[in-house]
Amino acid sequence: MRKYNRSLWAAVAVFAAFALAACGSSSSSTTSASSATTSSSSAAPAKSGGSVTFLYGVAPQSLDPGMDYTTQGGEINWVVYTPMVTYTHANGNAGLKLIPGLATALPVISDGGKTYTMYMRKGLVFSNGAPVTASSFVWAVERNIKIPWGGSGEFVTPVIQGATAYSSGKASTISGITANNTTGEIVIHLTAPYGLFDNVLAFPSMAPVPVGTPFKNEATNPPPGVGPYKVTNIVPNTSFTAVPNPYWAKEAIPGIPSAKVTVDAKISSNVPANALSVLNNTADVFDWADTIPGSLLPQIQAQASARFTKVDLGGSTYYMFLNSQEKPFNNQLAREAVVTGLNEEAMSRLGSGFTDPGCYFMPPALPGHLANTTCPYGNPDSGGNLAKARALVKQSGFEGYPVTVWSEERDPRQAWMTYYTAYLNSIGFKATQKLISDAVYWTTIGDLKLHPQTGFGDWNMDFNNPVDFYGVLLTGPSILPVNNENFGEVNDPEINSLTDQIAATNNTSTVESLATKLDVYTAQKAYVAVFGYQTFPKFTSDRINYSALVFHPVWGWDWTSFSLK
Amino acid sequence: MATTTSETGTQFSTDLPAALAQEEVAAGTGPWRLAWRRLRRNKTALFFGGLFIVIVVLCLLAPVYARDIAHIGPATENITGSNLNKCPPTCVGPTDIPVGPSWNISSYFLGADSLGRDVAVRLLYGGRNSLEIGAVATIITMILAMILGVAAGFLGGVADNLINLILDVTWAFPVVLLGIVLGTLIATSGIGPLHSTTLMSTALIIGVVYFPYVAKPIRAQVLSLRQREFVDAARQQGLGNVRIMFSEILPNLASTIVVFIPLILANAILLEAALTYLGAGVQPPNASWGTMLSDGISTIPAAFHDVLAPGIMLVLTVLSINIFGDGLRDALDPRSKVRIAH
Amino acid sequence: MSRFIIRRLAMMLLVLFLISVITFLLFAAIPNGNPALRLAGRNSTATEVHQIEVLYGFNKPIYVQYGRMMKNIFTGQATSYVQGFNVVDQIKHDLPATLSLAIGAGIIWMVASIIVGTLAAIRAGRHTDRVLTVLSMIGVSFPPFFLGAIFIYFLGYKANLFPVGGYVSFATSPSQWLHHMILPWITLSVLFIGFYSRVLRSTILDTMNEDFVRTATAKGLSHQQVLRRHILRNSLIPIIALFGLDMGQVIGGGAILTETVYNLHGVGQLFAQAIGLLDNVTVLVCSMLIAFTVVLLSAFTDIFYAVLDPRIRLGA
Repeated sequence: MRKYNRSLWAAVAVFAAFALAACGSSSSSTTSASSATTSSSSAAPAKSGGSVTFLYGVAPQSLDPGMDYTTQGGEINWVVYTPMVTYTHANGNAGLKLIPGLATALPVISDGGKTYTMYMRKGLVFSNGAPVTASSFVWAVERNIKIPWGGSGEFVTPVIQGATAYSSGKASTISGITANNTTGEIVIHLTAPYGLFDNVLAFPSMAPVPVGTPFKNEATNPPPGVGPYKVTNIVPNTSFTAVPNPYWAKEAIPGIPSAKVTVDAKISSNVPANALSVLNNTADVFDWADTIPGSLLPQIQAQASARFTKVDLGGSTYYMFLNSQEKPFNNQLAREAVVTGLNEEAMSRLGSGFTDPGCYFMPPALPGHLANTTCPYGNPDSGGNLAKARALVKQSGFEGYPVTVWSEERDPRQAWMTYYTAYLNSIGFKATQKLISDAVYWTTIGDLKLHPQTGFGDWNMDFNNPVDFYGVLLTGPSILPVNNENFGEVNDPEINSLTDQIAATNNTSTVESLATKLDVYTAQKAYVAVFGYQTFPKFTSDRINYSALVFHPVWGWDWTSFSLK
Repeated sequence: MATTTSETGTQFSTDLPAALAQEEVAAGTGPWRLAWRRLRRNKTALFFGGLFIVIVVLCLLAPVYARDIAHIGPATENITGSNLNKCPPTCVGPTDIPVGPSWNISSYFLGADSLGRDVAVRLLYGGRNSLEIGAVATIITMILAMILGVAAGFLGGVADNLINLILDVTWAFPVVLLGIVLGTLIATSGIGPLHSTTLMSTALIIGVVYFPYVAKPIRAQVLSLRQREFVDAARQQGLGNVRIMFSEILPNLASTIVVFIPLILANAILLEAALTYLGAGVQPPNASWGTMLSDGISTIPAAFHDVLAPGIMLVLTVLSINIFGDGLRDALDPRSKVRIAH
Repeated sequence: MSRFIIRRLAMMLLVLFLISVITFLLFAAIPNGNPALRLAGRNSTATEVHQIEVLYGFNKPIYVQYGRMMKNIFTGQATSYVQGFNVVDQIKHDLPATLSLAIGAGIIWMVASIIVGTLAAIRAGRHTDRVLTVLSMIGVSFPPFFLGAIFIYFLGYKANLFPVGGYVSFATSPSQWLHHMILPWITLSVLFIGFYSRVLRSTILDTMNEDFVRTATAKGLSHQQVLRRHILRNSLIPIIALFGLDMGQVIGGGAILTETVYNLHGVGQLFAQAIGLLDNVTVLVCSMLIAFTVVLLSAFTDIFYAVLDPRIRLGA
């Protein structure tokens, strides 16, 4: 998924250091009213009760799970709307393991991988007390196709039988899903075997919602869900409150902890001020998707080392795409030149040290990811070989060729692309930078008619399967006329075939070995110039029990792990 | 930042020519000579005018400084120091904090910015760009204002109503919106000869934004001038409208126009900074004081020099223009003479 | 007179209409700004994009879309596709901050300008005059975001005298409201004091020369009385006109920079954010709001002058 970020206002809009207040209120917001909930099933026995302030630099796209496709929305929606299948609430790779959510068990896969059968748990109720039925699941799927949810085009509509007809209006129901409200049985027929369908079921957009919820983005009045939290008090673009769901304890779903505190989420686009507030303990949690300005890092590291870490969730790759169908990068040597001379250490500094250098397209959390020691065009820590890069450019015959570098406006992305442009000039191209407003950057370079030569690209995993990266970003069929994500227009039969093989299998070791092959091949062909895997700030105030925190590899903050000391 | 739309004559120098004419009949010198004398007595204005000239000269010498003294261009980045090892230990630290002023004129005199570029060199080049944008915008404003203001005031009737409508719409239209939308358009597809690497698009936007400020008072002045005897006289001589506009009306507007130029220039430079801060103005890699300011603001508190350098230059420049322009206005308007006895 | 007023108001409506049309068309002209594309999300097929277009009416001719948009706005139903809220409600929510800023700053800058301008006029040409000139010009020469940065850094962060950024509504806590508004008020007023005081100064000097002043002095009125009764009253006229125009801008959300820098979450900041997001619905409503307040106050200004000066309403 893409991290949904406001543009310059968030980053550039204000300067660091001193704005202490979040919008709407000036200072501390803690009350020690206890809303005692039952003890959780998480590791550390944490105190229950109290409330914490959470600062978002960027608002969630929507609190309606049928619409939202951002990390900001995902982190709250996954604990408000438990899907049929969900992730383990644990740090690191353990968090990638899928467990049953509202289903009694993980789906039984049959018919060569094309049929998924599962049963809705009995006796579940939504956070408003209404009962959950098998039809609630079907309703959610219909909703996310019709609204439409941003991931439906890739993961739902073409995958489930009858969904395409339903989406275009030719059918009034999805023929491939049957649900029996008496037994709770749900059967899903796929159009072809799809090894990652379990992960698709784990999206909050696939979580059951009451039948009859309208098919439109209910941002201010979202439907009730089944989860540890429920959301109230929504003031759009400003704040909302997540309170423990009073019905949760009775649902007794194993593996999903309950909520311990009330969370007052506030949206404050002054990100440096947010960092300062958390540093000064006037707010409690800094959103992991926001960037801590480099100028504040020394202070934070000095004063708050016990409550600040940089975590590589292992799911993000930052790269420059190189258009393999357009000059000059349709030439292998030209692409190699870019990768050979790139100084990833410098790029990392521009991002205040928050990217870990790397050369392989898949980030660390994906199976089959390789360490940086075997990079084909030079070790990313070595600083880039400019002389060799210049020689390669000459050899390719494209010296002096004009190149347009596409760039977003907010920092550090703008700074990265400014640096990259100067770098391309230094190895012999004639590069100029084009800044596009963040709001339309992706749709602009995603317009195939533009044929962008090179520019910034990023990807955050939706789940840890290579198809989430390659299938969306580098295969032939993923090239779309609009909203394209394969900016480099890469259509390589080897990549296409390997990706298809990975999609068709459920066997983890096969996935791993195929993925490694894919990564090595891609690196050799230099289709993309990777410059790092993003790390994220795990930063809270003093009041939070830091050691009990779960920083999930897919969703970031696990709100059920927030507790006060 | 507008001027009065009054037509009652309390405006700038509506009756100036007449008043000056009376004075010079007595003293025997032309109105411009008199104005110059008054200006000379205003030491403050002269000082700041001189300061402005010094700043302009410094900025124009930017290439000389870059080539001969600092040996580094405005866009050369030096992050890990692998190319040009001029900052101890590196020009940009591991968390992207740039190094401060070295006070060594030949190497990073004012320190580095977050991309490792030389602040002093960028300051001068940026000044050139900011001043160029300001100048071009001012020219655009004055030309548009003169044409439309004179046409509206002189021709009256339908032309006047139409031009008034254009002035009102332009005046009420939010400039930031125009700037950002035009900026996006230019970046993606370009508009005619305008592409994102030129500064002209920003200058054009600013020029268009300010012309109602000047056009309205000009129109007001022309309206009253139109009733005057010398216009009637010219008409009786058989001169056509256009001739009259050029030969009789325009010269009488001269002092008004002269007074407006520094005002618009100062505001244009400020507006460029504002637009760039909001993302609608100058694009990289072009430097301008606006881009340096907005980059610098995000590095406070670790690197205050990045924001102080362009900020002080900007304020000094605009201040100089403002004070000199104010002195000019005083000098051209005789009724602002000292009143002593009370 | 009433014909004049009607003409001015008719002009106003025309201007508003034109601005709404231009803004609407501007967004239509942005390449890849098609809201259907952005709503459809990544990896959508052309058919899905088309479905959204039908759903929201993006495929209708442009004037139909415009009509629907206007209807939604005036019935208070305009919802932002990008940000998901009801725009009119959001503006109502943000208006108090903007009004607090505008009115407070307005009072400060008017009072300060009158004092500085009058003083400078009385002591014209002398040392005091020059000092006041330079001081007031400094204020006008600062970009507000830079000035704000300096204030916040030194007075807020370093000296801890002021809370920095944010807005507390008067209803919640009057003292906090005041504490939060002082720096924004000063930052905004400083922009205008320099200019207003200069204009006042020159109109006072002009007026001092008029015949009726000499007559009043000859009649035996004291210097103070002359100043107050005749000079000031006449000299204030152009200032009040300027004030109308500038307030029109600020109230409608034109103080974008000040609001953004201090994170006041007023209409100006909403507008700036919406532009950055290319949120066409919010931008349209905000543009119309600013245009409305500017044009309304501009019309009042013209009417105000016409009342004072018959030549204007009868002439051009």
